[in-house]
Amino acid sequence: MWIFRQLFNFCKNLLRKQRLDEDLDLEIRSYVELSAEEKTTLGVSPEQARIQAELETGGLEQIKEGVRDVRVGATIDRLLQDIRYGSRLLWKNLAYAALTVTTVALGIGATTAIFSVVDGVMFKSLPFPNAARLVRVRSVFTATRRGDVASYPDFLDWRARNHVFDALAAFRTGDFTLAGRGEPERLHGAVVSARLFSLLGVSPAIGRSFLPQEDHPAAADGANAVVLSHALWQRDFGSDPAVIGRTIRLDGQPFTVVGVMPPKFEYPIDAAPVELWTTIAVDAGGGGMPMTDQRGAHYLDVIGLLKPGVQLREAFAEMAQIAGNLSKEHPENKPRTVQLVPEVQELAGPLRTPLLVLMGAVVCVLLIVCVNVANLLTAQGSRRYKEIAVRFAMGANRARVVCQLLTENLILSLLGGGLGLTLAIAMVKILVRIMPAQAPRFNNISVDGRLIGFALFISLFSGILFGLAPAFRTSNIDLTESLKENWARSGSDGKAHARFRGLLVGIQAALAVVLLLGATLLLQSFVHLTRVDPGFDPHDVLTFQLNTPTPNAGDPAAFFREFAARVKSVPGVVSVSAAASLPLTGDSMKSSVEIEGHPTPPGSRSTADFNSVETGYFRALDSAIIRGRDFTAHDSAKATPVVIVNRTFAQQFFPNENPIGKHIRPGIGNGYGPGEPPMREIVGIIQDVKQSGLQAEAAPEMYAPLAQSPFSPVFFVVRTATDPRGYAGIIRRQLGSLEKTEPMYHIETLDEYFQEALSIPRLVTLLLSAFAVVAVLLACMGVYGVVSYVTAQRTHEIGIRMALGSRKLEIMRLILTEGLRPAIAGTLAGIAISLKATALLSSLLYGLTPTDPLTFCAIPLLMTGIALMASYLPARRAANLDPMQSLRYE
Amino acid sequence: MAQTRTDILQGTLDLLILQALALEELHGMGIARRIGQMTQGAFVVKAGSLFPALHRMEEAGWLTSFWGESATNRRAKFYRLTKLGKRQLDTETKDWERISVAISQALRST
Repeated sequence: MWIFRQLFNFCKNLLRKQRLDEDLDLEIRSYVELSAEEKTTLGVSPEQARIQAELETGGLEQIKEGVRDVRVGATIDRLLQDIRYGSRLLWKNLAYAALTVTTVALGIGATTAIFSVVDGVMFKSLPFPNAARLVRVRSVFTATRRGDVASYPDFLDWRARNHVFDALAAFRTGDFTLAGRGEPERLHGAVVSARLFSLLGVSPAIGRSFLPQEDHPAAADGANAVVLSHALWQRDFGSDPAVIGRTIRLDGQPFTVVGVMPPKFEYPIDAAPVELWTTIAVDAGGGGMPMTDQRGAHYLDVIGLLKPGVQLREAFAEMAQIAGNLSKEHPENKPRTVQLVPEVQELAGPLRTPLLVLMGAVVCVLLIVCVNVANLLTAQGSRRYKEIAVRFAMGANRARVVCQLLTENLILSLLGGGLGLTLAIAMVKILVRIMPAQAPRFNNISVDGRLIGFALFISLFSGILFGLAPAFRTSNIDLTESLKENWARSGSDGKAHARFRGLLVGIQAALAVVLLLGATLLLQSFVHLTRVDPGFDPHDVLTFQLNTPTPNAGDPAAFFREFAARVKSVPGVVSVSAAASLPLTGDSMKSSVEIEGHPTPPGSRSTADFNSVETGYFRALDSAIIRGRDFTAHDSAKATPVVIVNRTFAQQFFPNENPIGKHIRPGIGNGYGPGEPPMREIVGIIQDVKQSGLQAEAAPEMYAPLAQSPFSPVFFVVRTATDPRGYAGIIRRQLGSLEKTEPMYHIETLDEYFQEALSIPRLVTLLLSAFAVVAVLLACMGVYGVVSYVTAQRTHEIGIRMALGSRKLEIMRLILTEGLRPAIAGTLAGIAISLKATALLSSLLYGLTPTDPLTFCAIPLLMTGIALMASYLPARRAANLDPMQSLRYE
Repeated sequence: MAQTRTDILQGTLDLLILQALALEELHGMGIARRIGQMTQGAFVVKAGSLFPALHRMEEAGWLTSFWGESATNRRAKFYRLTKLGKRQLDTETKDWERISVAISQALRST
């Protein structure tokens, strides 16, 4: 019954608001008249009676407000009214509204976009059960903490001796040539230990997983097991379930298909998807000493599943103990220990630091945005002082006014948040596209529900927080003072207000300086990087990988000669050569080295990079021979073993000596029988070529002729006269006429490798610069706003000063100080913060320190200059005031 | 002074309005005057408290209102008790009596 009545009242109040209000108005008026009438009967004159009656009744609007407040649904009604009123007001004040909404959108857009990327790359859990317990175990040198891959014997001992892991599995990626119908196909695959799938908690969609005994090579006539990816099964085997048990040929060897993984299964997570898995048995077979028997052959990644409840620290303690024991048991190897890294973190890899930097930057931007919005709202609040005073006079209570102001701010922040979210979605799309290829887990990056919630939270939070402070300030009005219209000139409130805004400007300036410094450092570092001499000319060189015949299967040298001759015959090809590893790719081989005349036990030998190259490699790369000679066709397998070293090698191992003619013994002895690899004579010194990225300092490096140190596959390098991309087709046809079974793969130009090496620095620099520009613009707006405010506030004072004979210059100085003081204070604070904060950048910087003195001098000056410019406009306006007019103002 | 007195006894305003309307229907001014008479001038009900109370009670269903003419032929809004209002008056009167007896006893008991 009661409910129905309230519902009826509610509807009536909402629908017939106008009628009810008019009715109430009439009722109160009649009350006043009746009251006056009564007084006249007591002998008061009619005019007097009316005045008394009105005074006794009180304000008409206040009574009406009181009645409205008790009506059912008053709250909703008020909210609707506030929204209507707020929207109207914002519409009238479009410039202010647009500015605020854009600022909020920018802040929320940038933050949400970067957080989406960070979340996708670094935090989103892996799509495996027990993802949180997956840990990468790296094997590193005790002395340098470098390296990360493990040897198979070490892995077996780790697995047998530990009590902290439920399972350990080893894997490496590798490419396989699948011969079948038509063209042979090059497939990206993985060589894994049998337990990998069960460790990850994933079983094949069809067929079975590997059996433990399949880690050992099959009998001489048998075939190793292989598991196919869902995509490969669909593409090459027509989704035929009967594929299980069939034999396929990979790299000429027979393999039995035992299973097909479920769709979307992806591990190891690599730039290119893995399409098939086989067991470690492929490394155990073959003649000589297989890789899996060499404790010194570090080439496997190891992943472990921690036992439930075991902490990373405990696991590390035990594994370090085991590794220490192994080093003691095998003194012939350099001592190694382990590092344990959660799998999620391991996968973020090279993007980790850049993303952390960007996250810091984006938080700075968000803070600046919040401060700016606070500034805008405060300014808006002070402009509305009088309106609010009038509202109080008309009977509005304080809570009501605060509510009204909050509603307006919430409208703005929600609009900004919505726009920001749209911006974020667009930005994420762009970011994913320009993301460097090294970044794993792209497909995980998206703006999902949690991040939408995050954006909504930030916008509401900033709306309430930064709306509330000014709302309370504004609502705390001395009625009489403000209605007298000289509130700005009188009282300490105006000054406190200006101080508050000065503080905001200071904070903005400080944050802007931090971002600007960071961006400038990165920008300079990027310029340094692009100007780095990589030691070769990357333009117009096509590269591709090719399996060459092994010495037992054919004559690699003859194959190369024949193929090179055909490629060279293509018009436009300048030179052709090949190498085991390419510059800038970072996948160079490490080898121990013994210097003639300095016999050292194998455990403590120095290490250097090792590469194996064809004749003409340095010419094709356009790398200069500093001393001695290049390899020639005479440096064959049967001739004296020779080696060319780079400048760093020469300086490090032969300081103040001529290395030409000296002998060294690289630890890699491909092409020679078992036992110690041969001593090689140094015949030349080559300039330093950047092997592992542009930032890395050149490492000592040795080059042996491919004929004396055969490798397969090798990278071919073809220098061309015009755009090298156009030559891939014709070279493939040349290869086809020569040999049918081996495809070309990894076709890329050296320029592309160069750009890839720059991609992460470019991305970070670009984004950080964008953030810095936004920050500076916002800070500018802040300074401009505060100076304009102060100028308006002191118009009267300026008028008096000018009337008393102050010169324009003095007035300008007066006003400029108002803007510059907080800006300079903020700048100084920014320098202090940056001295600490830029340390985060140190690993990203090349060619300068994180506290580069020149940058730290120039940027604060720049910031001050910008603040000066932002203050100049309002200051000039103040100086050009007509004293008469400014005194008449208000 | 009247202001402070009404403030203290705000809770009794509803009861007084109901009592004022118990005999006859009245307009706002009339209710204020009647309350003054009934309490021998101890209560001066101001328009700022009277009107919100009237509207609240009307929404609660204790009163109904209609436009009519005053004794001096002026248009005025009159209020009348409903059945619900009469019942409310009864309960509130009983409550009040119980409370006032209890409080008087408490004050005398020292």
